[in-house]
Amino acid sequence: MKSKPRVAVFDFTGCEGCELNKLNFENHLLDILDHIDIVEWREAMDDQVAEYDIAFVEGSISTPDCVERIFDIRNRTKVLIALGACAVNGGMNAMKNKQSLDTVREIVYGEDKDLFPTLPALPLSSYVTVDYEVHGCPMTQKEFLQLLTSILAGKKPVKPDYAVCVECKLDENECVYGKGMICMGPITRAGCDALCPSFGQYCIGCRGLVPHPNKEAMINILIENGLSIDDAEKRMDLYNSNEKDVVLI
Amino acid sequence: MNGYYLSQENVKDFISHLMKKKTVYAPHAKADHSFVFEEVVDADNVILDYVRTLNSIKKYFMPSREVMLRYNLDDNSYSIEDVEPVKGIFLGVHSYDMQAVLRLDHSFSHGNPEKNYLTRRLDNIFIGTSFTPDNFHFSSSVNIQPHKTEGFDLFMHKTDRGYVLEEVTKTGSDLMKGFDQLTKFHGEYPNSEHFKSHLYAPQEKLSKVFEESYDNPVWHEIAQKCVGCGTCNLACPTCYCFDVEDHVDLSLQSGSRERRLDSCMLRGFTEVAGGEVFRDRLADRIRHRVYRKFKYISDSAGEPWCVGCGRCTIYCTAGISIVDIVNRLVSDYDKKQIVQDSDMIAAWD
Repeated sequence: MKSKPRVAVFDFTGCEGCELNKLNFENHLLDILDHIDIVEWREAMDDQVAEYDIAFVEGSISTPDCVERIFDIRNRTKVLIALGACAVNGGMNAMKNKQSLDTVREIVYGEDKDLFPTLPALPLSSYVTVDYEVHGCPMTQKEFLQLLTSILAGKKPVKPDYAVCVECKLDENECVYGKGMICMGPITRAGCDALCPSFGQYCIGCRGLVPHPNKEAMINILIENGLSIDDAEKRMDLYNSNEKDVVLI
Repeated sequence: MNGYYLSQENVKDFISHLMKKKTVYAPHAKADHSFVFEEVVDADNVILDYVRTLNSIKKYFMPSREVMLRYNLDDNSYSIEDVEPVKGIFLGVHSYDMQAVLRLDHSFSHGNPEKNYLTRRLDNIFIGTSFTPDNFHFSSSVNIQPHKTEGFDLFMHKTDRGYVLEEVTKTGSDLMKGFDQLTKFHGEYPNSEHFKSHLYAPQEKLSKVFEESYDNPVWHEIAQKCVGCGTCNLACPTCYCFDVEDHVDLSLQSGSRERRLDSCMLRGFTEVAGGEVFRDRLADRIRHRVYRKFKYISDSAGEPWCVGCGRCTIYCTAGISIVDIVNRLVSDYDKKQIVQDSDMIAAWD
């Protein structure tokens, strides 16, 4: 029998929710284990190994120690997959990048701040080559499985490059803007099946922006719907402080 | 004209009568203040007096997502999914949505006939209802009055205390057989409604306007406001573009090929192999969308491919209005004509 790919899971700066999410795949875990061998996963087991075929990495890179570890992981793995918002674009952690590093260290560690060196929270791709990305805070089970099955079957994974609005229209959802809510759907990358708007909630943009977003137009929509410029920019930054890509008008 | 009068209190019985014949699809309330077409389970839940539904009845003939085929990697085989005619009665359809279906019929039967759409379209009955235009309907500007009966089998003209039923086809007449709560109606069918939103030019003129509008600055100006989310296309009852994706099952032995509605407003729509994007500028995508509604298809089919339902405008979170865009083009065109005319007069002097 063909040997199964050896898979490892690692975490950096983040809440570990994406990892935990994987342990919650109760209905599919055994099927997944038919195809892969999990060889290292701090949250689920004690083993450690020297090399792996696929590394799933969660969290952003935000300390000098993180930098060393991510280079080490990259050297040991054939395929590296960024798992969830923090790993893909820095996620919420990247809000700290808007302030001086000294200030944020003082807020968190007080007088012990010098014991904890810190760096701007950046995505894995700022340091190493990332082969695939799973967006979302947390990432969804469906997308994780689609990516995994595509890779294992040797197919190019499908990754939505359009906005959550598309999924709302396909699902015939009533637009939450009509209810007086402020939604990030028009500029947020789809793939969640418009989960929050489908249940009458607004999108907070946890999946990051679509490629080539028209940020200024989005800020205008937020302002037109009642946010101050300051609040509109904060709403944009919540998950997207590191997003530099812009639309071509 | 000879028709039948159906009083408001008998509408529910009429719907129940229809439900005995075939599955009935009609407008229902959805969420806070919206309407959607759904299969009728209880005639009490049908709302015939509605503004517009979120999606048009297109969704029954071209579902927003559908599995085209399933494949098996073990023996490289595949099986095409069976598609059945919908065979329903569509009740309470507005004239612009019926016209949109007729336009889709044209699009899907010319060139390469599209089997899935054409199969689902077989054996359906359409019952129209008139509507009162809101601030966003402008269908009269594209020759679609609220009482237009083309495409329908039966038409329900709304009156103060009920509906006047107009038999449009024999199928429509047959639907009323066995329903005795109708009274004979003699007189003119109601035929006018006041529209608040208008295009400033008919299609014949728009065709000329669009010939001159390719480099109009409006495309760039609108692109400053547009987020390119694709809502306008996806809500449009005459848009039909789709994308196809393959999915692999967890067994890794089998999978499915699925299609879903796509939108030419999305950057990825024009991305081709190798990563080239041939409408990379948002302004180019906006222009393309509007040209698809008033120029490209219209020139060959002879009709605007916009039915004036107003969905693209009312659902646009950026507040972009297709009526404003077209009227701006018309007014720029007119100004240019005046300048050209006065230049000619000056030349004669």
